[in-house]
Order: sequence, then C-alpha cells, then structure tokens
Amino acid sequence: MDIVGFIVKLFLSPQVFAPIVFPGLLTALVVLLIIIWAERKIAARIQMRVGPLYVTRHLGGVLQMLADGTRYMFQEFIVPETADRIPFIVAPILALTLAILPFAFIPSAPGFSPISSPLTLPAVLAVISAIPISVLLMGWASNNKFSIQGAVREAFMSLGYEVPLFISAISMSILYGTMSLEEMVTKQFIPGLILNPIAAFTFLVSMIMSAGKLPFDIVEGEQEIVAGPYVEYTGIIFGIGMGLAYLKLYALSLIYTIIFLSGWEPLPKLLYDIYPGIAGIFLFVKAFLLMLFIVFLRSVYGRYRLDQALKIGWRVYFVLSIVSLILSLGLRVILNV
Amino acid sequence: MLSMSSEFVSSRLLFKEGDESTYELFIGPQHPASGHMRFIVRLKGDIIVSVDPDIGYVHRTMEKLAEGREAIKAIPLLERLTIIDSHNVTVALVTALERLLDAEPPPRALYLRTLLSEINRIASHLYGMGIAGIMLNHSTMFMWAFGDREVWIQLAEELTGARLTHTYSIPGGVRRDLPQGFKEKFEKAARYMEKRLQDYMKIFLLNPQIASRYEGVGILKKSEARRLSIVGPNLRASGVKYDARLADDYGAYKELEFEVPVREEGDCMARMLVRVEEIKQSLSIIRQVLEKMPSGPIFAEKYLKLLPPKTREQVLKTGHVKLPGIFASLKLPAGEAVARAEMGHGEIFYHIVSDGSTKPYRLRVVTPSFRNVVLFRYLPPGHRFMDFPAIYGSLDYFPPEADR
Repeated sequence: MDIVGFIVKLFLSPQVFAPIVFPGLLTALVVLLIIIWAERKIAARIQMRVGPLYVTRHLGGVLQMLADGTRYMFQEFIVPETADRIPFIVAPILALTLAILPFAFIPSAPGFSPISSPLTLPAVLAVISAIPISVLLMGWASNNKFSIQGAVREAFMSLGYEVPLFISAISMSILYGTMSLEEMVTKQFIPGLILNPIAAFTFLVSMIMSAGKLPFDIVEGEQEIVAGPYVEYTGIIFGIGMGLAYLKLYALSLIYTIIFLSGWEPLPKLLYDIYPGIAGIFLFVKAFLLMLFIVFLRSVYGRYRLDQALKIGWRVYFVLSIVSLILSLGLRVILNV
Repeated sequence: MLSMSSEFVSSRLLFKEGDESTYELFIGPQHPASGHMRFIVRLKGDIIVSVDPDIGYVHRTMEKLAEGREAIKAIPLLERLTIIDSHNVTVALVTALERLLDAEPPPRALYLRTLLSEINRIASHLYGMGIAGIMLNHSTMFMWAFGDREVWIQLAEELTGARLTHTYSIPGGVRRDLPQGFKEKFEKAARYMEKRLQDYMKIFLLNPQIASRYEGVGILKKSEARRLSIVGPNLRASGVKYDARLADDYGAYKELEFEVPVREEGDCMARMLVRVEEIKQSLSIIRQVLEKMPSGPIFAEKYLKLLPPKTREQVLKTGHVKLPGIFASLKLPAGEAVARAEMGHGEIFYHIVSDGSTKPYRLRVVTPSFRNVVLFRYLPPGHRFMDFPAIYGSLDYFPPEADR
C-alpha cells in the first residue's frame, strides 16, 4: 500500500503534475488539437466556409486534427538519401523536447511550481530561445534548397524577435522586483498590462513572431519556400513540425498571462482547497483566449516580407522594449512596489 | 553535381549563369505558388538576380486542333484556353469569323454579347484578386473573391445555361435570349458586389500590412510597358490608356459610356486597384446594357431563314437558337480576318486564314498572358525573394492561356 501511496503522492506533486498533466504536456496536446480546430473554424466563419466538419460531425469536426495526426502516424517516414541522416532525425526530436521543456518552469497555482527557483523567467525564456537552433539544424540537415532558405529565415527572425521579447520580459521583472514567475503573480496588485502597456504590446508582437503566426509566418513561407525547414519531413515528424509552433505559442501564452494578466488570479478558493494543481484554471482560460486572438489574426493579415519583419523587430519593437524598460524603472522609483 | 568543365550543360535548364555566389531555386512546376509552369529564380543573398519563366507545361496544341476541325467547332475548343473567362476569349474569334463570313449579328445579339463579356470580366478579375491574395497568404481575400465569383458564374449560367463553358456567341448572333427577371437578379448581384468591393478594400488593399507589400513593388514604367507590348490592366496600371474594347469594334461598346481606369504608379498596388475599378466599370456597363437593350432577333436573318419554318418559329418564341444544319459544314470564304477583344487579362488577338474549305487554313491566337509573361523576366530582378509571389499575384498571369 505504501508503494501505491508513494506513486499517487509522486503523481500529485507539483514536480510531476504541473509539467506532465496541467498545464503541461497532456493539456498542451489537447490545446494543440482544439486550437488548430478553432483556428480553422474561426477562419472558415470569416471566409464564408464551413471548415473541418466531417470527422465527428455532431461536434463540429473537433476531432479532425486527431484524425490528421493518426494519418501522419501511419505515413512512411522518409529520410532523403542526400540528407544528413543523424541530425535529420535528431533535430525534430530535440525541437519537440525543447518545446515541451518550458512547462517544467511554469507554475499553475501559488506554491505549485515544478521548479522553485528565483530565476524561472530567464530559464523559461532561455529554453524557448533554444528551439530555433534545432529548427536551423532541421533545415540544414535536410540538404534541400528551400529548407536551407527556411533555416536562414529562422535564424534572421529569431534574432529579430528575441531581443525585444527578452527586454520587455526583463522590464517587467524590474518592475516587480523579481525574476520568479510565481512571485510575479503575487506582486501584481493590478495586471501588468495596465502597469506597463508598452512592454505588454512588445511582448505580444514578439510572441507572435516567435510562434511564426501570421503576419509573421515567414519561416514556413508556403508561397515562396513551400514549408521552409520542414519541407523534407514526412509522416509524424512533419506533424511535429506543425505542432511545434502551437506548443511554443501555448508556452508563451502561459508566460504572457503570468507576467501581464495577473496569472491565476482570481484564485478559485474551492478548487485550491481540493487540490492546488487544478486551481490554475483561470491561468489556462486567459492563455487560451489569448491564443484564440492570435490565431484569429490569420484571417486579417497576409505575410510580411522578411526584411520588413526584421525592420519591425529591430527598429520599432527593440526601441519600444527599451522605452518599456525605462518606464518600468520610472514606475519602480515612483511606486516603490 | 553540375561540376562540368564547360559553362553549358547539355540542357538549357541547367545553364549556369555567373558564379557560385548565386543561389538557384526552381519554383515549380510542383510548387504551391508556381501555377502550371516553372520559374528558375537566381538569388544573390535575398535579392533576385534573374528569373527565367519556363512556360509550356500545359501546351495543348489549341491552334493546331482548331485547324483540324470545322470553323464552328473552334468556339467550344478555344473556350478552354481561359476557362475562367470563356466568353471574352471566344468573342473575338466569333467576330473574326463573322468578318470572314460577312454575317452581321443583330443589335440585340451584340448587347447580349457585351453583357456576358462584362459578367465574365468581373468573374475573371475576382479570380485574379483571389490568387493575388493567397500569394501573400491572405486566405480571407482568396476565399472571399472565390466565393463571390460564384455570384457571377450563376448569373452567367442563368443567361447561357452553363457555368463556365458558355459557347454563347456563334457567327451571326448568340444562342439564347435574355431570361425573364434577369435585370432584378443582376441588380441584387451588383448591390452585393459594390458592398463587397468596399470589404475587399478594407481587408486587403487598404490593410497597411498588404499595402506595405504592394506599394512601390514591381514597378513597370510607362516606356517599358510600351516597349514590351504589355496588355490589359497591367498596361493601364502603368499609365497607358489602351483598351481593345475601344480599339476594335465588337459588341455594343460603341454605344455605351464607360471609363477606362488608368493609374500612373505602375506598381503592384496600381495593378490591383485598376482591377477593382474595372469591376465597378463593368457593373455600370451591364446596367447600361440592360437599360438600352434593343428588342429584336438575336440571330442573323441570313442564317435564321435557313432553318425549317417550324424550328424558326420555335426559335423566335423560346429565344433558344437551334443551329442550322449548314453550320456543321460552313464553308469559310477564302481570305483573312483579324479581330481582337479585351479579356480580363488583356487583349486577345485572332488571325484566321481561310483557303475556302470548311476548316480554317490557319488559326492564330495571341493571348494576353502570353504577352505578359515577359514581365516575369523584367519585374522581379532587384527585388527581395519574398516579393516574387506579390508580383506574380499582381500580374494575374494564367499559364494555360499563355501556353495555348
């Protein structure tokens, strides 16, 4: 009986439950299925279409993505003869691992952090910023002209968005006086979005760039380079490449909610008393709504050109992030929070 | 792989230009945005050095096929050149045949031809705008334009009985009279279209993101446009006021008032805006046509009297023309005839040579896309690689039409 008790205790500990179940991996996979479906349904509604429908018709085709994923599973995985075999196979696995890793740092309720550290914010951003390296490796190992173009675009873009992303996040941590994601929520007497709107906006745009959503889906650039770094991939690995952007978006949305939208507040006391692991329901809802907004942009915008996106990153949002940094310093002096 | 000592490798396609510092990309024929053709794009960094459009993937020997069959059968055949604009593509052929046969269509038939031509033009422009939208990954523009094109296809179906392959104009007239209640249906469609054009402007052309992709990109100068003999909206966007509707006498355009939209900028944005303006002009032309439509026969007296009396009565009563038996072996008088018409993509030109037999000795067709394809060589160099789809979309190029 002791062993069962130990397993249950282990499973319910924040170190396992948060990254694996909620809001981590399993929730992320469900979100992945629903958000892609929602994106297609929103776009379909705007574009006078029906959208996915025929899989589970009475549920509006919500399981379409599961059906697609199953199809990917049974598709042959081809390694091209000209590809660099080992990096070609390792790179997507590395990318997926790095995309899941941020959930090890994201707390879902007060006192329910998987890793209790004063430095969870830089850690989670560091992990997310390592994903482009594996995408770069995918593109290079594929040894295809389009995929190399895509890899180069990924490299350019990651430089373009990561600097404003980091600086706007750091400016908030200066404002709150902490680099721990959990403490950041407790420090927000009003949401960070109102305290420093410039940082919030800069982070949002950098986030969209990072996740490669429209109008910044430059890396995949279907009309120019087919699928960018993923062009040689088939089967489930191609599916992973597709899901990668959404996993990244989900992790970044959670971080955005924690930094700017006062995280899990208001905390449902009842749920917290039952089990703290499921008390982060508002964190999840806010993050999901944010994701819905970002995928909605697909129906409004086309794609920016690479040099335009870089110009936006460096000349507009880099400057704005510096302004937000100064604003945070000023607020810190005045408010003395 | 291509490390051969000589500069030229056996095939033209593997011809190497310059040194290793250019990056060669083969866009198409199996590429999401190439259409039925291939572009060999050479890049230096992110800048396009040269583009080699490689056409001919959908060559269907249209001219030769037309020479092997009776003249009247060329109409449904050549419709397939540009299935999205199938009346405009054949109206010039019919005009040329009429000039050769010396058959004068009655005025009502001319008005009906103009009506269908303009419906086709709107549908064709919507198609082009939709493709231009998806080239920038703007899926909403793509879906909206393709969805709204359906309205005009259905109007054309109402008039002719077929959604795309109308085969409406025949030497001497048209095949069907105006159906009842067409005017009301058109008014409904026109009101819808005017509302939708504003929506298109809001979401697409006035959208700052799209404007930044289009403005100042792919500029075609007036002199260059003339020198390369570009046609259609691409020419008019560069400030040259040339329209085959005014240049040649076909349809009822002589009796109608319309403007030829011209813009001076010559960039991608100007080309798109000219199309939007042309849709508006087409709506006004159709309104005038429906107002001024004269009553009378829709088929030339010359051919009508060849029909047996009973059939002739039926034709006059129902407004559905039955082709006289002579049409199957209509002898073209020896001689030549030319005609041109303005399609959605630009001017189409027909030259028919006959030696007096039932089949044309030579049927030459110069399509607008074939004349515009040269722009792929001239416009993209110097631009960023990502401008290539923007330029392609704005040119409204249709490979099957160019390849014939």
